[in-house]
Amino acid sequence: MNRSLGMKVVDFLERYGVLVAFVLLFAVNAVWQGEVFLKPESLRNLLNQNAAIGIVAVGMTLVIIAGGIDLSVGAVLAFSSAVGVLLLNRLVGEEGGGFSETAAVWIGLGTGVLVGAGCGLLNGGLVVLGRIPPFIATLAGLVGFRSVALALAEGGEIRASGGEVLQSIGRGGVPLPGVETANGRPIIVFWSILLLVATTIAGQLLLSRTRLGRHLVAVGSNEVAARYSGIAVGRVRLWSYLIVGLCAGLAGLSQIARMGAVSSSQFGLYLELDAIAAVVIGGTSMAGGRGRVWGTFVGVLILGMINQMLVTSGFEVYWQGFVKGVIIVLAVLVQRGRK
Amino acid sequence: MLRVEGLSKAFPAVQALAGVSLRFESGEVHGLIGENGAGKSTMMRILAGIERPDEGSMTLAGEPYAPAGVREAMRRGVAMIHQELNLVGDLSIAENVLLGREPRRAGWLRRRSMIEESRRWLEEVGCALDPRRELRELSVAEQQLVEIAKALSQRARVLIMDEPTAVLSERETSALFGLIRRLRADGVAVIYISHLLPEVRTLCDRISVLRDGRLVAETTAADAEPSRLASLMVGRELRDVHPPRRVVPDAPPRLRLRDLEVADRVHGVSLEVRPGEILGLAGLVGSGRTELAESVVGLRRLARGSVEVDGVPRRFASPRAALAAGVAYVSEDRKGRGVVLGMNCRENLTLATLDRYGWAFPRVGEERRSFARWRDAMGIRAPEGEASIRTLSGGNQQKVAVAKWLDARPRVLLLDEPTRGVDVGAKREIYRLIASLAEQGLACLVISSELPELLGLCHRIAVLRQGRLAGVLDAEAATEESLVHLAMGVGETPSDRESRDRGSTAA
Repeated sequence: MNRSLGMKVVDFLERYGVLVAFVLLFAVNAVWQGEVFLKPESLRNLLNQNAAIGIVAVGMTLVIIAGGIDLSVGAVLAFSSAVGVLLLNRLVGEEGGGFSETAAVWIGLGTGVLVGAGCGLLNGGLVVLGRIPPFIATLAGLVGFRSVALALAEGGEIRASGGEVLQSIGRGGVPLPGVETANGRPIIVFWSILLLVATTIAGQLLLSRTRLGRHLVAVGSNEVAARYSGIAVGRVRLWSYLIVGLCAGLAGLSQIARMGAVSSSQFGLYLELDAIAAVVIGGTSMAGGRGRVWGTFVGVLILGMINQMLVTSGFEVYWQGFVKGVIIVLAVLVQRGRK
Repeated sequence: MLRVEGLSKAFPAVQALAGVSLRFESGEVHGLIGENGAGKSTMMRILAGIERPDEGSMTLAGEPYAPAGVREAMRRGVAMIHQELNLVGDLSIAENVLLGREPRRAGWLRRRSMIEESRRWLEEVGCALDPRRELRELSVAEQQLVEIAKALSQRARVLIMDEPTAVLSERETSALFGLIRRLRADGVAVIYISHLLPEVRTLCDRISVLRDGRLVAETTAADAEPSRLASLMVGRELRDVHPPRRVVPDAPPRLRLRDLEVADRVHGVSLEVRPGEILGLAGLVGSGRTELAESVVGLRRLARGSVEVDGVPRRFASPRAALAAGVAYVSEDRKGRGVVLGMNCRENLTLATLDRYGWAFPRVGEERRSFARWRDAMGIRAPEGEASIRTLSGGNQQKVAVAKWLDARPRVLLLDEPTRGVDVGAKREIYRLIASLAEQGLACLVISSELPELLGLCHRIAVLRQGRLAGVLDAEAATEESLVHLAMGVGETPSDRESRDRGSTAA
């Protein structure tokens, strides 16, 4: 048992490398950009900008742990948002039937979230009942749902009615106690951020503390053994797709509230890639059976910070992808288990 | 040929090897025995270049030998036939034999010479299969021959075999022994790992016994008394491997199978198991034993026939449904179907019974206590429930796989090769456990290729031959011979017929 210090370092990096990377990046940013970066509102904005990716990435983590993948999340986000906003607009419109603005907003957006879950269920159905490989089934979803969203919005943007209520959701939140901006206003932690945090905590608890979480790992690690152990493998996988769809719907909700409109062509574009990148950086195995939600959360923050660094340092935006690519490869190299 | 000096290796949980020195000579079959976790597998993995030792040195034909990986070990002529065969099911036999060393001309595969070369090596091991066939069509025994042919084609001078007969029928085993003896005559050094003492004694020239990572004895086969070997392995006198047989109480059958039919595999088999009874199921590999059990719990489609549990007709759609009705099936394929290697011991134990530990939120403390209980009851060698099951030896993994189903408190237990790859000591513990479960009213069906196991443990033994019931014998009256005769379809002796009749009236 007299393992060398080097081995211990390697072990530690394998497990907590993502945290080390996060701390390093944070420190670099703090030193380099100083107060601009450390200002509470800029940290808040960093979280807010990445809330949608983060929420979806939580679901993506669970799907990948169960041995699947969902490429359609971005398209599902756009589609479910479009449906939600269209419904909302109809409800507040003249023939809406007397809904108050608040009720209309919640019914509309709530329906959007449910549509997201429904899309997930459809994906899961194709994978489980239709026996279509997840990559293919959700690739179809990627092009299919996006197309429906574009058709609903006639290729453009749908502005949401109920502006005030929406704004109170998008700009509202819980004030950070004891912290103020330079001009003396409280710092509001937006609902989106709270939703991201809540989703992350719920996802991690689901994974490590519930029966479903245990079954997700079992199915992703050894599907045959899971089936022989009396686990309803199909149902477990169905759940994983439903959850990621639900996450996409929730992410859509936070986007609408922030923007006050749905852009059918831009909403959730390349979201699936960012989400998968965050999952991988967070230390979840693409082969399934091994992963963690908190790692994904840190992965989302890492990606967000890198984006911000590139923007503020005046790099051309074209280089963002390159840097992300390098980070993904490094993350996998550091965290892969030794044979 | 191959010498190891002071070999040591530690894993996070256990000191697997502690200063073992051994010599393996050419033209000799060297048996290596020991309990699960005694260090045999670690030793073999070091020799084959899969693991590196913490301490110690090795020489091969006088030259220093410290393989950096399997490839280098093979290049130096040391090959290992794994318990779980390492072949690619989607490739042909020829492609498997020459995997990684395909003959090429200007970058193109030379398919014809591949087939010819592999055919030559197949003939070398006495196997007349067409090298163009896909590997997945072959039986396990045939696959093993392919693996040996592959090793020979790499000019193996040292051949390590890890429990090669565990998956073979008796006839296949004796064919394999013939082959090993021929290899020995050709000057190959064979290292042979097994749990079956009689087999080691007939086959090997020299026998080394490992216990807790140390070499406790090295003898010639002639001097090795099985009982002495067994007690050397466990470090104590071993008696009464099989618990005493209890009388089966008179009761209506708990499990009744009528006229079961599984496409191409099982044809019209009817069996009954009463509460408290242990029914053995014998037969050659491929006789339909596993398929029969799998069809009962819904893992295979039942074309015809009925399954009754306590008189209620059932047709289970999945193991889940079967378990809900109290019928559990422990698979023969431990790594593939029995345990989830990515999980820890506790999680593996409760995989089938998680409902009991909380409907949606399992109570981990209760799971831990449960694991501790089963660990003590079955002698599972694991430091704690949180240890990854990967770090356990094969036999201890098997115990966890069995415990998983026992934890479900089934009323009917179907065990498929419950002691495969398990050492004598652990076997005895598993037998006792099965016997005491039966005593509590469990109906057990035990599938096994080890006839002494069936004879010692079971009340009655049913024999399958080519998917049909060849007979049911009373275990008290049956002999290995009579079972083999039934399984292979050779003529019966009068005493067999008598005991068979008695067996079927007892049903």
